[in-house]
Amino acid sequence: MKNFLNIFKKEIKELLTKEMIFSLVFMVMLFGLMGSFINDAKERTQEQLLETTSLAVLNLDNSAYSKEVLNKLEENKIEIVEIEEESLEDAVKKTQKEGLMFLLVLPENFEESIKGMHGTEVEMYSMVKGFDANENTSFSHISAVVNLINQEISNTYIENAFGGQNPENIINPIKTKEFVVVNNKVAPGNLATLKALSMANSMIIPILLMMSIMYAGTMIITSMGLEKENKTLETLLTLPVKRISIILGKMAGAAVVALLMAVVYIIGFNYYMSSFSASVVDGENIMQTLGLTMTFFDYILLGISLFLTILVALSVCMILGMFAQDVKSAQSMQFPIILLIMIPYFILMFQDLGTMSIGLKIFLYLNPFSHPFIASKVLIFDNYSIVIAGIVYLAVFAAFMMYLSVKLFNTDKVLTAKSPFGKLKLSKG
Amino acid sequence: MTKAIEIKNLLKDYDNFRALKGISFEVREGEIFGLIGPNAAGKTTTLRIIATLLQLTSGEVKVFNHDVIKESEKVREMISYLPEEAGAYKNLSGREYLEFIAQFYAEDKSKMEKILNKGLELAKLGEKVTDKVSTYSKGMTRRLLLARALMIEPKLAILDEPTSGLDVIMSQEIRKIIKDFAQHGVTVLLSSHNMLEVEFLCDRIALINNGEIVEIGTPTQLEREYNAKNIEEVFIKAIE
Repeated sequence: MKNFLNIFKKEIKELLTKEMIFSLVFMVMLFGLMGSFINDAKERTQEQLLETTSLAVLNLDNSAYSKEVLNKLEENKIEIVEIEEESLEDAVKKTQKEGLMFLLVLPENFEESIKGMHGTEVEMYSMVKGFDANENTSFSHISAVVNLINQEISNTYIENAFGGQNPENIINPIKTKEFVVVNNKVAPGNLATLKALSMANSMIIPILLMMSIMYAGTMIITSMGLEKENKTLETLLTLPVKRISIILGKMAGAAVVALLMAVVYIIGFNYYMSSFSASVVDGENIMQTLGLTMTFFDYILLGISLFLTILVALSVCMILGMFAQDVKSAQSMQFPIILLIMIPYFILMFQDLGTMSIGLKIFLYLNPFSHPFIASKVLIFDNYSIVIAGIVYLAVFAAFMMYLSVKLFNTDKVLTAKSPFGKLKLSKG
Repeated sequence: MTKAIEIKNLLKDYDNFRALKGISFEVREGEIFGLIGPNAAGKTTTLRIIATLLQLTSGEVKVFNHDVIKESEKVREMISYLPEEAGAYKNLSGREYLEFIAQFYAEDKSKMEKILNKGLELAKLGEKVTDKVSTYSKGMTRRLLLARALMIEPKLAILDEPTSGLDVIMSQEIRKIIKDFAQHGVTVLLSSHNMLEVEFLCDRIALINNGEIVEIGTPTQLEREYNAKNIEEVFIKAIE
């Protein structure tokens, strides 16, 4: 135990360098900064929605009805600036001179066309200075109000034509009330909303899983690369300490640094992602009613699955690290492992296990790095058999890889092995 | 006299290449024994096998009567190995590095302190001992590594080219330290290219060439036998 702790502490000191801490802090700051920018832009847009939007209007009709429409716009926080010019060209110039962004032109016979139920066409001119998001917001505001007026005019037509009937019952005579059912539990809502909620809720856990597995692999392979590069491995192997203590000390050190990095990363990423997420009204209630939330037991199972996968990543990367000459070659050897981690992450992000092809399913089940991602997806549906089978598979796989790495550590390979892509070089002497 | 090292018919193959072709020799307790030979003669391979780093193809290697394969953990408790191209952990300070190594040998705090003080005394790094190893010169690092190897007062010190790449003054200092330790009962097995160093340090030497031991004896004995002025001449005549 003493030797294990000694190696563990040394690993932490070696891996957790000032440069690494700096890059972690920088990454979190970058995420924070990006999140702040997006949040600022969102707040600005929301503030703008509450502010009054100015609209230049060239009223060629000048009827009582057109004035009524303009009053309606003003009631909806649109400030009307009437343009007195006679030609459209002059009206545009005036609008630009006044620094206004939009010009609405109401045609002659506006009232007559509407009252005669012939329909009419108004013209909207946008003065383009750039492509700022705020201008889009102002335009959307005006369009929304114009649509509202349109709707009101239509409703008036329908009411008049059908003797005071509710226009909604005539436009949409069939209404749908949607429900979702999961494991005999029913909740009001639709599949799209449920998918959006599930996506938002399950975004963070898979990223945390991916990051911790990837970082663990990177840390251990870097550690082996450093031992080779700094020529410290031979000394380490001649110390009076069991090989298993060296391996476990290295793995524990790498796992702790990896988890620390993953947690710091996820804090920054979570803040960044929260700037995008739109809140779904009563979303949490729907998920809870349907039982689509992770229980304490689910988290325990997910934790075991993650722990075993990290153990597999550490053992596999430890073995790969034996073939490395230095840190650079060690990290390039990790590339296939990164692919094996990222592929299931992306597949399971877009496809459900139940609907995918047999070939893809076999690939996912055989790939040990898939299992925590699978667990994070199926646990909320109480599908425990897949998760427990995955845990058993991972335990066997991890035990075998650990056994293999201890075996290799006891042979010449740990010193003489080279990358299979390079030429075998014999030890000097 | 107790045998510190006993090697019988040692054979070592790397795939299709035979690095050691059945060598045999013994090192007595308390002596400084030199293994001398050109590049790729088999010196480092021999030292690595004794240090329990490499497996042997056939033969027998014992350290203080313990088999290096079957009783490798026992052997590791008695030896200290300094590889030719060794380095120290760059993100640790010199002191932290010595502490890290001392932990494996100290049963209690007082023993730990004793080992560490010995290491600090040998390393002679002064205030730099708290600086990171990455800031050390080659000479300072080599001194730190030698201090690491000797501070635990091993029964057998295996030193591969102990003064390799060092300047004259530093080399002389290191030779003195090695000689001093041997006088206090530490058995030393070293390899070297430097014939003067070998002549100054070693009680006995073995000339190794092409995976075979060519000669074994004291420097004076070999010089007389080959009618040579020095070991360099002995070496050239022996491998011709």
